[in-house]
Amino acid sequence: MLTRNSRQIVIYSLFCAAILALPLFVQDAFLLNKSARYLVLGILAMALSLSWGYGGILNLGQATSFGLGSYCMAMALKLRTVPVHTGAEGLPDFMVWNNVETLPWFWVPFHSMPFALAAGILVPALLAGLLAWFMFRGRVTGVYVAIITLAFLVVVNLLIIDQQRFTGGFNGITDLAQLELFGFEFDAYGASSYYLIAVTLTICLFAALLVTKSKAGLILQAIRDHENRVRYFGYDVAGYKIFAMTVSAAIAGVAGMLYTVVMEFASPTFLNVPLSLSVVIWCAVGGRQSLLGSVFGAILIAGMQGALSESEVFLDTWTLVMGLVFVLVVLFLPQGLAGAGHRLLDRLFAPRKADVARGSPQGVMAPPSS
Amino acid sequence: MEARKDLKLSNVTMRFNGFVAVDDLNLEVKAGELRCLIGPNGAGKTTTLDIICGKAKATSGEIRLGDTVLNHLEEHEIARIGIGRKFQVPSVFRQLTVRENLLVAHSRQPGVLRNALRFRRGEDTEGLDKLAELVGLRDHLHRLAGHLSHGQTQWLEIALLLAQDPKLILMDEPTAGMTTQETRKTAELFNRLKGNRTLIVVEHDMAFVKEIAEVISVMHQGKLLAQGTVAQIERDPAVKEAYLGSGGISDA
Repeated sequence: MLTRNSRQIVIYSLFCAAILALPLFVQDAFLLNKSARYLVLGILAMALSLSWGYGGILNLGQATSFGLGSYCMAMALKLRTVPVHTGAEGLPDFMVWNNVETLPWFWVPFHSMPFALAAGILVPALLAGLLAWFMFRGRVTGVYVAIITLAFLVVVNLLIIDQQRFTGGFNGITDLAQLELFGFEFDAYGASSYYLIAVTLTICLFAALLVTKSKAGLILQAIRDHENRVRYFGYDVAGYKIFAMTVSAAIAGVAGMLYTVVMEFASPTFLNVPLSLSVVIWCAVGGRQSLLGSVFGAILIAGMQGALSESEVFLDTWTLVMGLVFVLVVLFLPQGLAGAGHRLLDRLFAPRKADVARGSPQGVMAPPSS
Repeated sequence: MEARKDLKLSNVTMRFNGFVAVDDLNLEVKAGELRCLIGPNGAGKTTTLDIICGKAKATSGEIRLGDTVLNHLEEHEIARIGIGRKFQVPSVFRQLTVRENLLVAHSRQPGVLRNALRFRRGEDTEGLDKLAELVGLRDHLHRLAGHLSHGQTQWLEIALLLAQDPKLILMDEPTAGMTTQETRKTAELFNRLKGNRTLIVVEHDMAFVKEIAEVISVMHQGKLLAQGTVAQIERDPAVKEAYLGSGGISDA
């Protein structure tokens, strides 16, 4: 019989194989683009699951990291388009409209694609790390973490909208070149971009899985359970939380970069409050204490949202339907879909040990007994 | 052989908004000693433990373990020096299994990045299994800590402290909520720990105290009232006064 650990790896691998095989069955460019978009949102949700589900850090500003990543990519791709007004190597069009005369200093390094890729990961990671440092060194916990991260998101969002000369303001950064890496061109509506995203998702998923399986991952779960107890064993709790939030932000930054690639623009809506709160809902529905569950929750909810809002029957009521689904899941599946899935598998594989065994290696279905 | 590390509290005072919880306390505990700390409710016993482990910062005075001054260290730094704390309300990680609890407590290398690169398989876990056996949780290694009984939870927390392997263990009412039999087993365990480690035990159960105590310190209104063997303390008129109405500690 499979142990829980290997069962988990098998399920994760099957999922990754399935998303990698999808383009064999889906030829429609529009559908492929849409699927790629949902996978990117899946990466974003997984990043939150790492900090929220494992570390107990409810980061309502997860979209900050996502948006910053997407802007880094957009800046690099913008510099690769040939502007209509100023010709090759000229200023981006929106800067011309805003009477900017020379390229701002922080745009210059984005001529280099490796720099842009590094920035898309490091800028969100460092910023989140800094915010985490202030919060967790000051022993801020619980709901205050949620409030501070949300406020931080709003500040960054307003800043980007306000600095129209450098960021394109409300319109964001549009009319981008296509990403080119190692001589490969990634067409947003082609299989190439889809594969790029599916492979990145696979890598991120297993990297995050490794983090959760390490001793640091175990200590993070202990912190989620009983922060003070961990402290008196000699662990620097703040350090662990900063680590969790930084890794999570780095993954969200990667997701943001990919989102620019599939959407072909970056906009302040990539780091606004509704998106940031949606991520929390995806994780809750999928099961925040399961990485794969969160990915699945994002794909499912974002997919349903797309399908419902496009169908004529639900044109006016789709938000209600979504709300209902969310309420039902929270009421009846407190551990999300992943929790239900684990329970089902436990029944199938080990009916006798069901009451003794713990839910899963990540504690997905472990109901807090009282 | 390492230098023996005695714990020394000199003129320690702790004020909460004018209320004096610990008042100019002087207390010395030799390395390897088992010290019982007793006293009526509100005597400042738990606060004293809080001050030692860094949960509360003393208003004035000095706390030393060997040559190290503990006053301005953070909780985790104090823990790394070798001080472990068991809380009055049993504190374990309820959503983790017994074994995972022990793995967390086993904290030789507390650094973040180092632990991010360590995987559970490579660890020496035999010692932890033995610990679980010592406290009778051998058959429960894979159970969630949240599913244990109250007594078992207390034992698990004691096992966690042993996994942490500190030089000085602070126990706040370790037998609270235990059955008589469990209490007796705890006393046995404590007697075995004596000598290897320094223990400070805050306890109300006098039968338990008599079974394990070498030296008892009695606190009253934040001050050290008396100190001595069980027999000396039982005869002490000041202690009788402090426990007025309850006929001295024998009936407490």
